[in-house]
Amino acid sequence: MKLVLYHLYPDLLDLYGDRGNVLTLKARCRWRNIDLEVRQVSLGDDLSLEEADILFLGGGSDREQNILGRDLSSKAGDLKQAVEEGLVVLAICGGYQLFGQYYETADGKKIPGLGIIDLYTVAGRKRMIGNVIAQVTDFDQNKAQLEDKVKLNTLVGFENHSGKTYLGPGIKPLAKIVKGYGNNGEDGLEGVRYKNVWGTYLHGPLLPKNPHLADEIIRAALKRRGYDFELAELDDSLEIKAHSAIVGRFG
Amino acid sequence: MAKGIRFWLALWLGKFISFVLKILGKKGTTFPGLVAGKICPDIIKNLAASFRGGTVLITGTNGKTTTNNLVASILETANKSVAYNREGANMLPGIAGTLLRNTSWGGKAKKNYLLLEVDEATVPHLCRQLRPELAVITNFFRDQLDRYGELDTTVKLVKDALPPSTRLILNADDPLVAQIGLDRPHTFYYGVAGLPISRETNQESREGRYCSRCGRELKYATFHYGQLGIYRCEQCGFKRPQPHIEAYGVEQKPAGIFFRLESKKDNDYAHREEQETTEYIIPLPGYYNLYNALAAFSVAECLGLDRGEIKQGLLNFVSDAGRMEQFVLPTCQLTLTLVKNPMGFNQVINTLIELGRPLHLMIAINDLAADGRDISWLWDVDFETLVSGELELKTVICSGLRAEDMALRLKYAGLNEELISITKDLKEAVAELETRKILSEEAVFILPTYTALFPLRDILISKRVSSFPVIAKTEVEGL
Repeated sequence: MKLVLYHLYPDLLDLYGDRGNVLTLKARCRWRNIDLEVRQVSLGDDLSLEEADILFLGGGSDREQNILGRDLSSKAGDLKQAVEEGLVVLAICGGYQLFGQYYETADGKKIPGLGIIDLYTVAGRKRMIGNVIAQVTDFDQNKAQLEDKVKLNTLVGFENHSGKTYLGPGIKPLAKIVKGYGNNGEDGLEGVRYKNVWGTYLHGPLLPKNPHLADEIIRAALKRRGYDFELAELDDSLEIKAHSAIVGRFG
Repeated sequence: MAKGIRFWLALWLGKFISFVLKILGKKGTTFPGLVAGKICPDIIKNLAASFRGGTVLITGTNGKTTTNNLVASILETANKSVAYNREGANMLPGIAGTLLRNTSWGGKAKKNYLLLEVDEATVPHLCRQLRPELAVITNFFRDQLDRYGELDTTVKLVKDALPPSTRLILNADDPLVAQIGLDRPHTFYYGVAGLPISRETNQESREGRYCSRCGRELKYATFHYGQLGIYRCEQCGFKRPQPHIEAYGVEQKPAGIFFRLESKKDNDYAHREEQETTEYIIPLPGYYNLYNALAAFSVAECLGLDRGEIKQGLLNFVSDAGRMEQFVLPTCQLTLTLVKNPMGFNQVINTLIELGRPLHLMIAINDLAADGRDISWLWDVDFETLVSGELELKTVICSGLRAEDMALRLKYAGLNEELISITKDLKEAVAELETRKILSEEAVFILPTYTALFPLRDILISKRVSSFPVIAKTEVEGL
């Protein structure tokens, strides 16, 4: 069994230990004898979406996000189509914002996003920084089974952003904020959940302490390739311990 | 300069509070400065003006404290009188406190030179109060993003704050630092020609990948570590400046780092290069300490000291609190060294691997304000190299408020989970370390973040048999 993960712009979007997410997906596949090949794509590189199972985008500084927004816009059409067809995407912070309609800067300029998901971001004055705990609202049909297996129904992470993101009508969030700011510090929502796209402001990085989400992503990628089976159980006691420590301390 | 009543009130009250705190045996270094600054906002400006030798400022992400103390060691060896601040006192209140202690009740400086390590974000505030003669920038790495915003912001903050008349002493090997000297003709550069670990390629995550001037990706002939190396931009021509002093023939030995120097001298505008045969020694492990030594060397050279004095000053250096500090406990000898960001941690890992001894390791990660609340930086540290099998890991104890995160990081780096133990309490973790069977050829290291360092030091001091300064090791193991 083989999956291919495209890590987009690892040299530009690598602010918050984001490679930890890729390491986690790779390790959790390896422990189950699934071969996850990681391909790094940078500015100007070709992106063959038909070979991609999982796309990962991390967070970057504003300057770097501008550079790659231009690079990625040429691929927006193909990317949108792939997402509609079920391509699995994990997009964090800046990468998450990029999937929306636009980013409105402090002076009112609208920088167009990829326009894949109906959401938009407005520059905020205040930086939203700190530990986050969020209740998972919907893990699709796998929810019950997930809760049975690992008994985690929260996501934990760290956020650091000034952009405030708002979801369009009918667009579902990834989770509801228990502690922290989330999308905009106003509506109590965190991230986005659309088709097979997971968008979020949580880093820390996200996946090591949220193994249930990591597995959900792997499961979605396998299912899309026609492998519909239960993932082998792993010993997640350390992951759960680290997750619970955050919930216990900041919750 | 006429000094108003507020100045005298601030000086005397500040000094009085310091005096009382000292009698009470309190270590508080920032409170007197805080009070003095409240009474007289210009207190630093007024006090600093009476240091006749001028001010030397040291900033950058890593190496501020060691560089500061190395310069102090060199100046004191050469019988120069110098006032300098201690780590933890590198923001305005701490700096004001240092000045108060080194100023008489009559308002006169007690020392000739003023030497200050300054937190990067404090540089603009400080430079509104004083104009340094010399300013050293050691390097820019990713550090505590939640406090500073992003690295680009920090670099710009420091660059814009330093007055045009200040002579800069810059690390030529760090493009983020070197570019600050682009339009400043009197800049003094230091650098390294090559390290035993230098490579032609570099896979680790690094800063400053793109030219600060034009945005094109920089090309490297050599990487020393991180973004430090010999680089050039093929688009706009920006390149590593030719260092005024450049280390070559670098070797790491048990007694420390040995190196020689090549100097660019511009006497009478005639450039000539000189290779020296003198071997210098900095009695500390870790190649990053070579950079600290070169920065300190540059300061001393710019202040007109001769190289014999500088050599002796480097040799006389005894490591500071938690900087490769040695302790002898009844069961083992151990080294305590601070880790605070990915690049610093990677350098410690490289040093452990070069030492090549089986290792008992304790890592203590806290996430308080002074450590950085965001611990995602742990995932940018190259623990994969630590657990690659090159080094025999006998013990790994994870401690501190974020012990579980550290343990998880090691699991995903590939370390056998059974080897990892989690003991969050620092005291209990040290006690656990002591119960391990430790052979004489094995090394023991404790790596804490900032707020875990001082409690750990207190624990170790209470347990130690005697202090074991590094310099003694130099004599024992021979040159």
